[in-house]
Amino acid sequence: MHCSRGGRPRLIAAGVFLFSADILQTIFAAPTNGAAFPILAHERQFFAQTCNVEKINNSQKETKPRSSGFSDRLARNVQKVKELLPAEDILVYSFCAKDGTECAAVYADGITDKELLGQLTAKPLSLAPAPKSAEEAEKLLLFPESRQAEDMQEAVSEILSGNPALFIDGIAAAIVLGTKKVALRAVTEPQTAITVKGPREGFIEDVKTNMGLVRRRLKTPDLRFESIVVGRRSKTVVCIAYLHGIADEKVIEEIRCRIRAIDIDGVPDSSYIGQFLAKKPYSLFKQVGTTEKPDILCAKMLEGRVGILCDGSPIALTLPYMLSEDFQSSQDYFVSPYRASVSRALRWIAVAAALFLPAFYVAAQLFKLQLLPFGLLLTVSGGIRDLPLSPSLEMFLLLLILEILIEASVRMPKYVALALSVIGALVLGDTAVKAGLVSSSAIIIVALSGISAYTVPDLTGTLSVVRIAYLLVAGSIGTYGIILLTALILYYLVTSDSYGTPLLAPFSPLIRRDLRDSVFKADIYALSERPAVFRPRNKRRLKVENRT
Amino acid sequence: MDKIKLRQICFLFAGMMPLTKMIVYPAMLAYQAKNDLLLAAFGNFLLEGAVIALVMFLASRTDCTFFDLLQNTFGKIGAKIIYGLFAAFFLFSAILPVLEQKAFVLQVFYENVPSFLSFAPFFAVSFFASVKGFKSIGRAADLALPVTAISLAVILLLSLPQAEFSALLPVGGAGAKGIFSGSLYGLNWYTDCLYPLFFLGHFKYEKHGAAKVMLAYAAGTAVVLLFLTVFYGIFSDIALRQINTIAQISKYTTAYTTLGRIDLFFIFAAALPLVFYLCVPIQMCVHCIRKIAPACNPVFPAAAVNGAMLLAAIFLNYSFFEVQTLFTQKLWWVFALFCYAVPILSLLLKRGKGERHE
Repeated sequence: MHCSRGGRPRLIAAGVFLFSADILQTIFAAPTNGAAFPILAHERQFFAQTCNVEKINNSQKETKPRSSGFSDRLARNVQKVKELLPAEDILVYSFCAKDGTECAAVYADGITDKELLGQLTAKPLSLAPAPKSAEEAEKLLLFPESRQAEDMQEAVSEILSGNPALFIDGIAAAIVLGTKKVALRAVTEPQTAITVKGPREGFIEDVKTNMGLVRRRLKTPDLRFESIVVGRRSKTVVCIAYLHGIADEKVIEEIRCRIRAIDIDGVPDSSYIGQFLAKKPYSLFKQVGTTEKPDILCAKMLEGRVGILCDGSPIALTLPYMLSEDFQSSQDYFVSPYRASVSRALRWIAVAAALFLPAFYVAAQLFKLQLLPFGLLLTVSGGIRDLPLSPSLEMFLLLLILEILIEASVRMPKYVALALSVIGALVLGDTAVKAGLVSSSAIIIVALSGISAYTVPDLTGTLSVVRIAYLLVAGSIGTYGIILLTALILYYLVTSDSYGTPLLAPFSPLIRRDLRDSVFKADIYALSERPAVFRPRNKRRLKVENRT
Repeated sequence: MDKIKLRQICFLFAGMMPLTKMIVYPAMLAYQAKNDLLLAAFGNFLLEGAVIALVMFLASRTDCTFFDLLQNTFGKIGAKIIYGLFAAFFLFSAILPVLEQKAFVLQVFYENVPSFLSFAPFFAVSFFASVKGFKSIGRAADLALPVTAISLAVILLLSLPQAEFSALLPVGGAGAKGIFSGSLYGLNWYTDCLYPLFFLGHFKYEKHGAAKVMLAYAAGTAVVLLFLTVFYGIFSDIALRQINTIAQISKYTTAYTTLGRIDLFFIFAAALPLVFYLCVPIQMCVHCIRKIAPACNPVFPAAAVNGAMLLAAIFLNYSFFEVQTLFTQKLWWVFALFCYAVPILSLLLKRGKGERHE
């Protein structure tokens, strides 16, 4: 069903439309199934406007009152639109019906499928006499997505969304044609979540495609999408996705309220929404989970979390968030529990190494040499004998260089990456040691710490900052400073929560059952219940009785 | 904010309480009770255990907080006065552990002579914890248990082979006076029994709750007794000179082997639960003040209490042994009164509206 996005724009539009139809049918059908679906009138209206729901289900179509904003004279309507939309990318496609009646489609260049407009609108109209009413015009058009705009403002809004407004001389109405064409990239594996085994699909920048990717994995009427338009100017669709009956209603309601309360001019990415959803926006630690993969989002929703998709962003947000979830990888669920447990333990060890290694190295040199084995002590002391820098300054300098290299490598064009590697490895590393500026043991420590931080990519930013903080206390107070900073961070973490879920769960507060999918991963039969920390209404995930 | 779970109280006794008795206490006990240090410690544990059992019995009978119980009996003003006294007591009782841990840190964590400033940031951590209330105590206990368990297991495993247990014989060699003075002068290390009294009404009493807490306390007791046994087995007559015991006990096994002082990592790790536990009396003090002045922002009492503790630590920077002598040999009755008499007498308080009928 999901088409390739190479060279067939019409098929793309049809594909997206069908996905939308599938999703929206589920959404709008839900109340009739007895479940109280809490979609608001304006959200329904938004869907109706952007996705042409009336055409999907004709039985649900309502007759809208005629607005006074339209004139029965074509020229006046077009002029009004041009007055409201003076931008030069708003074009008018004029043509005549068979009987010579003038027609015009006003559209935004670049986001409208002109071929589709010509084929399904201009062509049938030019082959038949002009319709006498808007209803007749809709029947005449072979277009699956067309409807009447309620007023001129709505017509303008639709034009800006990529759906042209058709005006016919003698008819005081605008027919909105769903020929939106958005340039989409292919559904590919996200660079930030590569797995050896497991699904390779990633979210893209189109919210409807993303909703479809989720729907494809959760074919249940309990999957609910609620869309809210955010951004006074960007009118970005933010979609709350959850499993009805599993996700905590209080969490959903709070997310809904927070998103509705956002009053900002534009939302370029989901991270903006994430900042509004975070209860402690100034926190150094993440407050909202993120994922670029639909399989992970679905798994999290099945555990009782709520997903938030944002149009224009390939990154989905998940709430409530726990720190331990960043240590989980989708691959853990596709390999044996032993392998997964080892991988997770490695990630925890790596994070500890990333945080503590530089700090302990400095503290050991400055305050407690006994921390180093005697042989290593001799090697280290030999290496640092003639260094002009103090241990903490040396380490700070190296960490700074590491951060600069990382920052540069992310933004640098690929063709200069090799040069960067040479400069980083040889000039800054080898030459600095030979020049007697830094010790080789310090470079090893920094390299190990830097690499270790990337075993948990979602925490890399936080780890970098905390690592510097540890280095500062280790250089000034020593080992006890490291202990005190750890205590402070732990106090902060244990008293923080994300929508009622403690950030350090299931370790603190200890939730024994949830430990089965934390540091280690138990076999699938042991994970028969959803994590208790999310207070799911439906606890049972797997029926163990059917075990063979 | 001020909720704690029964499990976390158990962890507090099993995971954090033993460590506080592993710094200066074993050396003091060895000085007073010599090879009968186990008997002296056991006496203290029995007494403290009995008080905890009584408080847990009270917890099974009422949902009221200790403040409510006092209020039901003495009125609001009376309750506030008593809480004021307890606030002062918690502040007072925190002085010796703070000085003890400060000395431990400055001697064990540094090879050079560190400044007092190395320890001073502790009060920033304690300030933060004090603002957060009981929730932080409980959740810190959740994290502390595995750290304590692993650290102590490694330290004991490293030191156990060096112990000569016949050093503990003959039983009763120190005489009744030595055992009694060991127990009496060790009272200021046994203030933990007071905490459940202040947790009353802040935790949900579960079925067999008292048994669980007692079991956890027994586990903590067993660890301390095992530690004392190994400690005296290793050091015997020179045990009384081994201050900062936890850092000394494994030194013969691992000093400068190819691994380095690997035990130091576990000693440092054990310092984390020690930090958590050292914050508890200060947090309790802040809790009492907040009960007296509920409208007051918790930041102010937390800042005041920690500021006072910082000043005390500065003024008494070089007076640890004088303070220890004063607290253990002169003011032992203060600890006996607040930690044992009051919890026992609290059974007589009116339980009022929150009384549970089971």
